[in-house]
Parts: sequence; structure tokens; C-alpha cells
Amino acid sequence: MPIFALQRSYKYMMYATKQPSLRINQADLKCKNGCGYYGNADWDGYCSKCYRNHMDQERQRKARQSHSDQTKVSGFSKFEEKKRQQTDKKNKYLKSLPVFRKTSSAKDSGRPERHLDLRQANPDADKLTAEFISLYGVWGEQVRRDFFKCVQSFTTKIYSELENKPIEDIAEMAQKYYNLYSNRVNNTETYQEVTTDVRDELLDFFEKYVMVSLYSWLFCPPSTNDEEKDLIIQERIRKLSWVNAHHLDCCISETSIEVRDLVYTAITHLLGMDSMKAPQDKLSCVVSCCQSVVKVLQHCQGGPVSADEFLPALIFIVLKANPARLKSNILYVTRFCNDSRLMQGEAGYYFTNLCCAVSFIENLTAESLNMPQQEFEAYMNGEITSVSAWESALVACEGMHQLCEHLSLLKDLSIRTNTVQDETKKLTDDILKFKEEMNEKVNSVLERTPLIIKPRKTPELSEKVDDTQNSQNFYLQNLQIATSNIDDAKTKLQLDITPCVSKTSPTDDHSLSKINYDIDFSDLSGESSLAELTPEKRKSPSFTPDPFSPVGSSCPITQAPLIPTKPDDFVLPFVETQETLLEKEDEGPNLPSPIKPMTAQYSGFSKQGWQIPSIPCITGELGANASQANSQTSQDKEN
Amino acid sequence: MKTIVGKVVVLGHQGVGKTSTVIRYVENSFSQHITPTVGASFFSCKLLIDDITVKLQIWDTAGQERFKAMAPMFYRNANAALIVFDITLRQSFESMQGWVFELKQNVDNPMVLCVVGNKSDLAKNRQVNRDEAIQYAKSIGATYHECSAMHDQGVGLVFDDVARGLIRLLGNSSDHNLKVYDSENIDNIMANSSELEATDTGKEETVNLSINSIAHGNTVKKCC
Ligand SMILES: Nc1nc2c(ncn2[C@@H]2O[C@H](COP(=O)(O)OP(=O)(O)OP(=O)(O)O)[C@@H](O)[C@H]2O)c(=O)[nH]1
Ligand SMILES: [Mg+2]
Repeated sequence: MPIFALQRSYKYMMYATKQPSLRINQADLKCKNGCGYYGNADWDGYCSKCYRNHMDQERQRKARQSHSDQTKVSGFSKFEEKKRQQTDKKNKYLKSLPVFRKTSSAKDSGRPERHLDLRQANPDADKLTAEFISLYGVWGEQVRRDFFKCVQSFTTKIYSELENKPIEDIAEMAQKYYNLYSNRVNNTETYQEVTTDVRDELLDFFEKYVMVSLYSWLFCPPSTNDEEKDLIIQERIRKLSWVNAHHLDCCISETSIEVRDLVYTAITHLLGMDSMKAPQDKLSCVVSCCQSVVKVLQHCQGGPVSADEFLPALIFIVLKANPARLKSNILYVTRFCNDSRLMQGEAGYYFTNLCCAVSFIENLTAESLNMPQQEFEAYMNGEITSVSAWESALVACEGMHQLCEHLSLLKDLSIRTNTVQDETKKLTDDILKFKEEMNEKVNSVLERTPLIIKPRKTPELSEKVDDTQNSQNFYLQNLQIATSNIDDAKTKLQLDITPCVSKTSPTDDHSLSKINYDIDFSDLSGESSLAELTPEKRKSPSFTPDPFSPVGSSCPITQAPLIPTKPDDFVLPFVETQETLLEKEDEGPNLPSPIKPMTAQYSGFSKQGWQIPSIPCITGELGANASQANSQTSQDKEN
Repeated sequence: MKTIVGKVVVLGHQGVGKTSTVIRYVENSFSQHITPTVGASFFSCKLLIDDITVKLQIWDTAGQERFKAMAPMFYRNANAALIVFDITLRQSFESMQGWVFELKQNVDNPMVLCVVGNKSDLAKNRQVNRDEAIQYAKSIGATYHECSAMHDQGVGLVFDDVARGLIRLLGNSSDHNLKVYDSENIDNIMANSSELEATDTGKEETVNLSINSIAHGNTVKKCC
């Protein structure tokens, strides 16, 4: 048996793209070119070397074609193909133009510039630079300088090769660089003082830094058909939305709230993968997702979880999550994640399982679900739909999730509006009732205590007034009237409002100041008496403490603190609120609220529909924000 | 003081007791020197054999027919394979031979193979002769063990043997892809320190040469 170079053949195994069969046919595995190496469906059945040659030939052919006569591409189905051709052309064009690219002899001098815009275009890289300094700054200037030198060397090299080499070669280059840097860190004097743990961290950080810097060029590159694959798998998963846990023989109990939450957590983690940039971060999303899946299974069955239960459960999660750009993400991690991380350990195991799940979904048949062909087709055509409780809610696309969430929000809002309206009405009623009560009370008090004219008790005060002579006359008059009514001694309130205007001098301007009130509020509480006073009364200047009061300073004027010192401030708000509330009640609620009848009739898509965390449609380039939002939602749900 | 990290993949027909065997082993050794990572289908455990720490990363696989096509993803880059069959089921023995064939075809780097006849407690219903199994194991360069996951007989021996096999593999062959961490092995190429500068000037040939020489020796200096 010939010993083949591992590097060349292992990647064919990443995807078993054929129908699940008992055994992979030997002929299927070999390179189409018959060179003896293994082929790969992703490489059109060639091995990596032959594929590269093949692609080079293709490209040359295409270039020649586009030079001689423009190939006519028509129809939307060829859009993707066209796009790629254009990219190819553009690259060629750019290369041939000295304006955009320095000639090959001036290549080296052109580098710093290219490097510069690489840095400028990447705020993420700047963030990482700061992080590097805060984390590893303690290891000295030398380490820092060497690190960034290596980063720069890596990025410039990869960037310059991007246009000429297929992505698989770039990936291989990246892996070699990882190895190189690993050796450098472990064997050079620069890093001598760095501890072993930190060295490993440095390696990880190196990988992270370069990948984040080059993310937009290396993720889903235009030279590949990754994007098409994404769309295909997305469409496929959508079509398979009816598949539930039961079909996959996995025991996910539908009733437990904890299980449901864990399922959502797993889905959120998987969706979060797209928003990460470094391969290791994407990988850790996969690990978190899988750990949640394990927890789900532990919850449902207890005891250790075996591969037989794990894989179907993961398939279920992938089906329900339908993550954005799934294929691109997987390919990106496969290509650019440090190989040692992928081959071994927990992360490697889980990632392999994810690849398996995707492959299973791609090749899913009636047989693999242990289902009659007819039933399978009926499901695929939409003739039968699944009706399982919360799964059907999961099945619904992101839009449905959002719809449900919004409906529940609206329902909540309308309930709150109703309570506000009810409370308002109650308050208005209370105010009205209070007003009536007060009127009644005041009236009854007024009835019980009719107005009587009291004699002036303090004749000496009047002397202070300018017109002393006149006032003495009035005092005598008043005294006469008072003595006639004095028998009603029991009355407590004696409101004596008798404007004693001088008849002898009606034109006298000072006459107003002679109006005397004798108010005794000792029976009534200040509060109620206030309500009786109409604004006009309170506003009237005559309300100010009367220096001529017959009661004088010795008499307790209980309402004194209630007398508005700043009449406007005190009076107006009260009047206004009363009025507006009354108006409101007459007009009915201001909000016509079409919501109210709607939500009342709404019975729900499913019982738990509104609890489903919304799955944002755009998880792509939003960066950490999107994932934060996701985890926030899930946290909310957990709460 | 050496530490070897090896990936062990467990293969076999459905229901032969792969999961049972692995779980039995993990449970048994739990009190002694094992660290079950998550209690899922992935386990890692440490064995100490002749001053060498062998860290086994055991990948359980799903035996169901519908997942068969995915098996290559699991056994790629494995350092050892446990191929399990049920001694009371002839069919599982034959299916196991298919697994061996597939492995031989698809895996290029040397690998420790270990044939395991499970359910030895049901020896009275035996359908596969012990001698026949031993003969077959020999023919493919594998070791043979019989065990009972249910009655906990001989399970420890299987994994012990795998660990020893890995140590032997490390000594015998050069193109194994075992990860070895060795605190004394510092003789690694100091020359490489200049490689990154070399790539900076675009001398691709030099880079590739030097990298190939590194790619085989996965030796990484590390304190344990
Ligand atoms: N009598 C006996 N039964 C066993 C033994 N080992 C496993 N079993 C039984 O065999 C059945 C299958 O065991 P699993 O461990 O699930 O087998 P598996 O190979 O993991 O199966 P798949 O993962 O589905 O391929 C279970 O019912 C076990 O109880 C054994 O040593 N003796
Ligand atoms: Mg099993």
C-alpha cells in the first residue's frame, strides 16, 4: 500500500458529499486525473494538485476567452458565475495596470503602502493591538516588536498572494506560518523570558490577530463558490424545517422549560459563530453550542451522553438554527484555524461533529430518517406539516419569531394602556366625587351657619386708617346691627362680609380698604375650606389678611398658611388638571387603540411562540454587537 | 518526562457495545487518574506507563448505519482505532472487517489498531471463534482482546494496550502525527528563527523547504 502524503489527502474527508452508503466506493475517492492521489468532490473530484492545475488552465482559458470575444452570459442563474468571472477579470485588470499595482520590480517598494491601507481598513486590528499591549506588554519591547513584525510579514505575504493562488494554497501557507511562529516563539532568545503558558497564548493571539486583519479577504473569498454553498444549504435546511427531534430519534423532551432554554442557548451560540472573526472564536462558539447540546441530553436522559445521542441532537439544533453562512464559516475554520486545534481535543471533536451534521443534512434522505419514501416526499412538498408543540414554533423562520415577539409586546402594551385608562377614569371619578362631596359639605355648613354681621371687635385698629373720623361712624352703625343679632351665640362660623362703604364719601378711593371680613374657620379643616374657595375668590386682592379685621391679631386665623403667597403657582395646576381630566373623560380615551380588539381576538401561533428569542436576520458583519444582542435575548429568556 | 497525546477513535457495528466499553472504562478509572471532560462522547484520560504519560483522547462514534458516511471525518488523523465487534454476532465480525479495510484505504499515517471482541460474558452464545479472531487480528497487524463491558472484564487491558501501542508507534515510525510534549527536547532547530524574515523578502522556495522539515516533527517544547 502506497504511503500518501497526509497533507494532500486529508481534506477530502471533511465532507462526505455523497449519499450515505454502506461503504465509500474506492473509485470515488481517487483523483479524476488518475494520478493515484485521493480526490475530493469540493475539488471537482481532483486531488489538490491536479485541481490547482485544472483551475489554472481554466482561468487561462477564461482569460483568453474574455480577450477574444466577450462570453455572453444570460439569465439570473448565471449571475454568480458572471460575478466570479468579473472578479477574475478585475484582478487581471488590476494586475496589468501600473496605476493600481506597482510593477513586479517595484513590488517591494509598494509594500509598505499596501500594508498601510490594510491596517487602516481594520478597526478590529487596532483594538487587538491595544489588547496585545495590555496583555503582553509586560514581556518587553522586543517581544512586542517581534510579534508585530511577524504579523506584518504574514499579512503582507498572504495579501500579496491572494490574487494568484487558490484559497486552499493560502490556507496551507497560513498553517505553515503558524508552525513557523510557534517555532520562533519556542526557540528564539527574544521569547526566552516568556513563560510556557504565555507562549501558547501568544501563538493563539498571533492566529487571532492575523485572521482578524485579513478576515474580509479570507472569509468567503470571491474566488470560491462558498457563497453559493451557503445559499444551497440554507435552502436545504428551510426545506427540512419539518424534521423534528422524533424523526431524528433523539430524546429532547418538549415540555421541560429548562430543556427549551438550553436548546435556545445552543441555537444562539451556533448563530453567534457568524459574528466572530477569528477562527478560534468561531470554534469556541461551536464548542459552547455543543456543550449546551450535551446538557440538554443529560437533562433528558441522565447519565453520560454517547455519540449516538449527541450527533442527532446536534443535527436537530443545526436544522432549527439554520445559521447564516454556515458553509462559509465551516470552510473558513477548516482552512485557517490552526490545524492542531482542529485535529484534537474537545474543540476538534465538536467541530467534526458539526461537519458531520452538515454533511448529514446535505445528504438526508427518507432512509436516513427511517421514514417511508412517500411520507418523506409529502413532507418535502409541504403536503404534511409538523404540528409538534414548541418545535413547530422553532420551525417558523426568523420573521415569525419576531412577529410573535412583537405581538406579545403589543399585547403587553395594550394591557398597560388599558390599566392607565382605567386608572385615569377612576381618578376623574374620584375628583368629581370629591368635588360634589365638598360642595355638599360646604353647602350644608353654609346652611347651618347663615351669614351674620358681627360687630367690630377692635375699634382701636381703625384709628390707623387715614380716615379716622369716618370709620368711627361706621363702627357705631355696625355695633347697632350686631347687638340685634347677637343672640345667635352658638354659631361657630360667623362670616361677616359686610362692605361698609362710607356713604358720606362714595367717591373715596380708600373705601375698598375698609371692607371687613370676620372669618372664623375654627370648625372646618383648612383642607376642605380651600376646596370651596373658587379661584376668583382666592385671587381677589381682598383675600389678603385684613389689617382692619375686627378680630385682630389675637384672633386665630386658621386658614392663614393656606393663603396663597404665590397665587399663580398654587392655583393654576390644580385647576388645569381638573379641567383636562374632565375633558378627557368626556371625549373618551385619546388613543383610539386599534390594538385592543386585535390582541383580544389573538389566540397565538403556539403557546410558547412569543417566548422564542428572535433570531436576527443579519448576523453577518455586525461584529460582537450581534452576538451580544443574541446572548442578551437568551439571557432575558433565561430570566 | 514525556507526554504523548493520542487520538483514539472507536469504531464498530451498531450495538456491539462501543459506548458501553468507553463509558465503563471512563467510570472505572474515574477515581484514579481520569478527567472526563464533559461526560459526552468525547473523553480524555491520562495513563502513566513506564514514566511516559499517555493522554488518550477517545472519540466515540455513532454506529447507526445512517451516520456511516460521516466516519472518515472522525477517524482522520486518529492515532489509534478500537475496532469493536460482538462475539455473539457473526455479522458484526464481518462488518468489522469492512471497517478495517476502509481504515487501511483511507488513513495514510501509521495507526495503532486494536480489535476488541465484546460481550465475553455471553460466551455460550458465541458465534465468532476466539482463534479465528486472533488470526484475523494478526493478519492486519492488530492486537486482539476480549472483554465484557457489562461485567467489567478486560476493559482496562484494552486501553492499556492502546497506550503501549502508541508508545511503540512513537519509537518505531517517523511519520506518525502524535503530539509529543517533551521538557528535555530542546534540540529543535534554532535556525528557524530567521525564517520569518526570509519570507518577508519573498523567497518562497526557502520557506517551503524549511517548513516541510518542521511539519513532520510535531515536537513542541513544553513544560508539563
Ligand atoms: N451482555 C453484554 N451486553 C453488552 C455488553 N456491552 C454492551 N452491551 C449491551 O449492548 C447494547 C448496545 O450497547 P452500546 O454501548 O449502546 O453499543 P454501541 O456500539 O455504542 O451502539 P451504537 O452506538 O448504536 O452503534 C446495550 O444494550 C448494552 O447493554 C457486554 O459486555 N455484555
Ligand atoms: Mg454508541
